[in-house]
Amino acid sequence: MIPQPLRDLLETGVSVMIGTRDQALMPECTRAWGIRVEPDAASVTVYLTETISRRTLANLRENGRIAITCTRPSDHTACQLKGAVRLIRPPDQRDEEHRHRWKREFFSELVAVGVPAELCEALITDPVLAVEVEVQESFGQTPGPGAGDRA
Amino acid sequence: MGDDTPSLESLWPCFQGMIPAAISTCSRDGTPNISFVSQVYYVDASHVAISFQFFNKTHRNISEHPYACIMFMDPRTLQAYRMRLHYERSESSGPLFESMSLQLQAIASHVGMSEVFRLRAADVYRVLEIERVAGFTRLPEPPPSERADPLFVSHELAALRVIVERINRAELLGDLLDGTLQLLDEFFGFRHALILLAEDKTRKLLTIASRGYPANGVGSEISYGEGLIGTVALAKRGLRLAGLDHSLRYARAARDRADRLGGLGQISREIPLPGLQAACSQLAVPLQARGRLVGVLAVESRDPAAFQAKEETLLAIIGGQLAAGIDQLGRESEEAAPLEPGRPARPPASPPATRLRSFCFFREDDCVFVDGEYLIRNVPGRILWRILRQYQDEGRTEFTNRALRMDGWLGLPELKDNLESRLILLRKRLEQKCPDIRLVPRGRGRFALETDVAIALSERSN
Repeated sequence: MIPQPLRDLLETGVSVMIGTRDQALMPECTRAWGIRVEPDAASVTVYLTETISRRTLANLRENGRIAITCTRPSDHTACQLKGAVRLIRPPDQRDEEHRHRWKREFFSELVAVGVPAELCEALITDPVLAVEVEVQESFGQTPGPGAGDRA
Repeated sequence: MGDDTPSLESLWPCFQGMIPAAISTCSRDGTPNISFVSQVYYVDASHVAISFQFFNKTHRNISEHPYACIMFMDPRTLQAYRMRLHYERSESSGPLFESMSLQLQAIASHVGMSEVFRLRAADVYRVLEIERVAGFTRLPEPPPSERADPLFVSHELAALRVIVERINRAELLGDLLDGTLQLLDEFFGFRHALILLAEDKTRKLLTIASRGYPANGVGSEISYGEGLIGTVALAKRGLRLAGLDHSLRYARAARDRADRLGGLGQISREIPLPGLQAACSQLAVPLQARGRLVGVLAVESRDPAAFQAKEETLLAIIGGQLAAGIDQLGRESEEAAPLEPGRPARPPASPPATRLRSFCFFREDDCVFVDGEYLIRNVPGRILWRILRQYQDEGRTEFTNRALRMDGWLGLPELKDNLESRLILLRKRLEQKCPDIRLVPRGRGRFALETDVAIALSERSN
């Protein structure tokens, strides 16, 4: 179960980064365009564009191990989720609706910290694949002592 | 890396810390980890550093499995880049650590968390691969003209900074002179170099320090206007010569003269100016403090193209700092001297010296010979004679600049006379000609006489 404070954080326009590794344990990272906590509060769906996440998707298909860090740009509140991929699939209507809401909030977060809106609008956030993840561990990751403690 | 692969330098906007970067690592058991880092630091063309402030998973992972992947963005366009890294080392002191630490402290102090945000180490990674992440933004890359790298300090500039800092830290004239030559060699490859001090009264330059020559040549003289060095002194302007004809070399003139004198069966009282065999290029800059010539800094090389405008500029900048240091330390050398008179020497603890050094003082020209060979003359000659006499007659081994200054026989002017430089000259001549007798600095304005041999003194009127 993802604790409530982290669920609340994940409902906002957080910046989402994904860590994976290949068979030789070589780390890889990429940016995801949105995250959604599923109603069971034990799984999330993240959205990846294939163009920028080829190795990540290959790693996920191969071993399924995933780390997700989410941080809210305006206050650096952050958390990390670790788990295993359940399914990689094209997005459905519900995903698209969620993603558009997330994108609006994420962009307004960026604008709030001084990123020009036209830079945000130029980001290529489509088309995506939906990656369903069963969350096994969650951590607070706000910078400072105690970052990385289990939530 | 292919042609499309960006260089680390070209990613300078990403190093500004305007947008946090993400770093992924992996534990030995195969669990990936990802976290944000506030800033990635550029170290050199193939290394970056990340601050290690808290014991966290990233730090644990790289100690188990030293690989990482970083994704960061150019804040001008939000273009993303990935770097694949290999962890090399953690630095907890030194310039990189200091500068990262200072930056963190400045930020932390704003929020009153200086202690909490203490930098533990700068984790340095080698960059294995850089990838421009295609398909991230629709914006074009800024044209290369905007890609000047204002963030990076060139090697030369960084080295200049280190040299200038060290020059400013030197507390003794001898350390300043030798240290500068060493730094010029280490940082800029000036392997053969000398520093000469100007004597306005005699319009001569006296070699006070050298590096990269078989004989240090300290004490050798050259007149204003003579050769490259003398010309530089006269014109007070830097000068470089390349593709020199052998017969034109400044050093040879002095050496030939000395050889000639020796060849005629006379005892040579000239010290040859250090010179590089088959030197093809030379560069010299005046050392000036507030417009007054204090000396000349000269370098030479066998490479005909070794010295260009860049080298001249570097040497001019360092020369400026060096001149200020010489000027200041020369004047300050006695200010801190203790007032107590020299103490009598303790009885020698070691077995009595069996070897003997014979010193002879020629009264007419204040010239000192050791074992029949010319050692030194003029004021440094008189100083040496005074020191040896006091050692012989009173057993004195400790001396102060102040006491020498007040010694009427030495005839030192009250002020403006660079006593410290004369002592350096004397010290180095001894190193060269009789290393078993040494003048050892004891801090500013004091020195001691150390000897491994017995000393015999005689005086002659030429």
